[in-house]
Amino acid sequence: MLNFKLKIRNLKFIILPFLVQLFSVLPLAVAAQPPDLEAQARQIAAELRCPVCQNLSAGDSPSELAQQMKGIILEQLKEGKSADEIKAYFVSKYGEWVLLSPPARGFGLLVWVLPYVVAVAGIVLVLLVVRRWTGKKGRQEPSAADPALLARIKREAAIEAPAPPERESGSPRAELLQEQARLYADLRELDFDYRAGKLSETDYQDLRNTLETEAVLVLKKIETTPARRAATAPQASEGQPSIEKKTAQTQASARPGWQLAAGGAFLLLFGITVGVLLTKSVRPRGSDQDSITGDFLTGTGPGGMAGGAGMAGMGASSSRDLPALLAQGRAAYEKQELPKAIQAFKDALALDPNQPEAHTYMGLILAQAGHADGALMAFDRALSANPKFPLALWGKGMLLYQGKQDFAGARATLQSLIEIMPAGEEKNQIQKTLVEINEASKGRKEGPKKAKAEAAAPPAQPGAQPQGQQIRGTITVDPKLKSKLDGKAVLFIVVYQAGSTGGAPLAVKKIDKPVFPLPYSLGSESVMMAGMPFSGKVTVSVRLDKDGNAMTKGPGDLTGERNGPVEVGAQKVDIVLDRAM
Amino acid sequence: MAWRRLVITLAVLLPLIGILAYGFMRDPRYINSPLIGQQAAPFTVTLFDGKKLSLDDLRGKTVFLNFWASWCPPCRAEARDLEAAWQRVKNSDVVFLGVDIQDTEEDARAYLREFDVTYPNGRDLTGKVAVDYGVWGIPETFFIDPQGRITYKHVGSLGTPLITAKLEEARAGIVSAKEGKGSYQTVR
Repeated sequence: MLNFKLKIRNLKFIILPFLVQLFSVLPLAVAAQPPDLEAQARQIAAELRCPVCQNLSAGDSPSELAQQMKGIILEQLKEGKSADEIKAYFVSKYGEWVLLSPPARGFGLLVWVLPYVVAVAGIVLVLLVVRRWTGKKGRQEPSAADPALLARIKREAAIEAPAPPERESGSPRAELLQEQARLYADLRELDFDYRAGKLSETDYQDLRNTLETEAVLVLKKIETTPARRAATAPQASEGQPSIEKKTAQTQASARPGWQLAAGGAFLLLFGITVGVLLTKSVRPRGSDQDSITGDFLTGTGPGGMAGGAGMAGMGASSSRDLPALLAQGRAAYEKQELPKAIQAFKDALALDPNQPEAHTYMGLILAQAGHADGALMAFDRALSANPKFPLALWGKGMLLYQGKQDFAGARATLQSLIEIMPAGEEKNQIQKTLVEINEASKGRKEGPKKAKAEAAAPPAQPGAQPQGQQIRGTITVDPKLKSKLDGKAVLFIVVYQAGSTGGAPLAVKKIDKPVFPLPYSLGSESVMMAGMPFSGKVTVSVRLDKDGNAMTKGPGDLTGERNGPVEVGAQKVDIVLDRAM
Repeated sequence: MAWRRLVITLAVLLPLIGILAYGFMRDPRYINSPLIGQQAAPFTVTLFDGKKLSLDDLRGKTVFLNFWASWCPPCRAEARDLEAAWQRVKNSDVVFLGVDIQDTEEDARAYLREFDVTYPNGRDLTGKVAVDYGVWGIPETFFIDPQGRITYKHVGSLGTPLITAKLEEARAGIVSAKEGKGSYQTVR
């Protein structure tokens, strides 16, 4: 105990100077402020993080935002604000995140304290381990504690003992027996050398003492280490002490294997975790010059620092798999295997989020599915990456013309497509379309007021009635199916144009958590494709969807429909949910 | 003894793996805003038509404040939706206000022409407004209720349903618990 206290005191002498050194490098509060405002602003900026960089202070960053921040700091200094007030201002806007050194309180305190705690713990650990090692050696000092054992060693070492039984090889006991045999052999060799006059008297005594002490330790260990069950009998017949029998054999001999397995399993788990996390966080190279971490660590976009080399070039600079993915997507699209195409283009966009071709095809697929707004967004993304991407111009132009009836927009888009197209059949086609658009827009000028009013109709204000013609009625549930009602299900009212066979519905209305009987009304605000007129003959069906996903029909969904088409504007279009899927 | 060692090893290593996992999972660029639920910082911008507009003048109205730049692809992607949303609400007590940051006047005007933007837009020349709103990734949109409080913030493109829903909430003064995130472009 006393010994241990002494050691702790020694530890203090080692750790204290270290701590003093560590704490002396802590950034202490800014004590003296230079009178120069510029220098003061620089100093404050150096303590603030640049919001758009990785691990750069606003003072070091060349980014525009950091420059603007410096301007604001200077301005506030001129207004007479203190450094703390200015920092508090930035904290109020960006949170404590903006401080390069987090405040030493709350969770932030952990950041300040933990490294030192870990460092100290590490040093203590190392010292303890070292103490244990040296302690082991210390115990090997010659001790005359057990003269009986020493006598036995002298006796046994003199005769050459047989090698330990083979069946025990690998067990801790067998290792000890081997060690014992080695020590005995060393002792014999030492005697031989001494007799041959190769060693001085003192050296001989020293070495002999060391070897004998080691042998004593080994013998003691052998006595406490159990033999394997199979080996017990021969051991006993050899006249070994029988203490080992008493010791729990299985537990001790099973331990190393058990520990190894646990260690191995843990290493495996660790490896898998690191592997999975790394693959998740590192994106593929955009090009050979690109760093794999890219924006993740340095704040630069895909393409590394070369990201600004022009949006139009982005389509060309990409990873090795990108062309393959695009080709795969194109092939699937041409075969109209849309889910496959979507997956390929999504993968391509994961590699290069600005890939114009992938965006364009996504747009075409969306347009085909009736999602005009999503499609337009996809085309715009493609065009913002490459403003002259022909397929995107074509898709956008046609969608604006046919889907949105935006003749001016369609004309402008197709016009810019024509400018970049080589002469040929395709160009003639587009010119024809342009003529059609011109005629259509003329036609609209004469009698379009109604359509325009509908397209630009204000949205449903809370409490206000939606405008235009409505279909109204009540939805009820077949009493036989009442038990199958799911409180969380979502009701979809789906309207198709009468006579249409599949394709996108004309209008869909979604009602969360419906309560039956449910009066409903459905008007032009539910039309899927903006600009499509909500009129004429339609068919109406309803589905109570368990998972709330309009695209999937699953077991447990309840459906029902109105027999035969109805005219938009009809009242009492009552529907019964009468089928379970 | 052996199980104790295992427990100690796990107790040391599992938190380390946890920290590692947390570090890998989070978006290192993402900055959580402390502004939601707070009073919106007052500012005045000069609009592209030369008039001046101050946020204080809009008290009593629901304000849709959108930070954008002509060089930002997600801004372009949402521009059409924003204008469409504006067309639907312009006759009500909602005001859309666009603030162009880190941009040239020429590019910004071309952008507004390209997307036929009709709601008021101004330029933040010094970056003061952007910093006042903690802007770091655009498009960045703030919904401000009639009392001048920020009810919702969205980093990245907004979809039409979200615009409608969050305008309704702002009108009613309902503060969202969390900010939203879409596809965004880090500012320069």
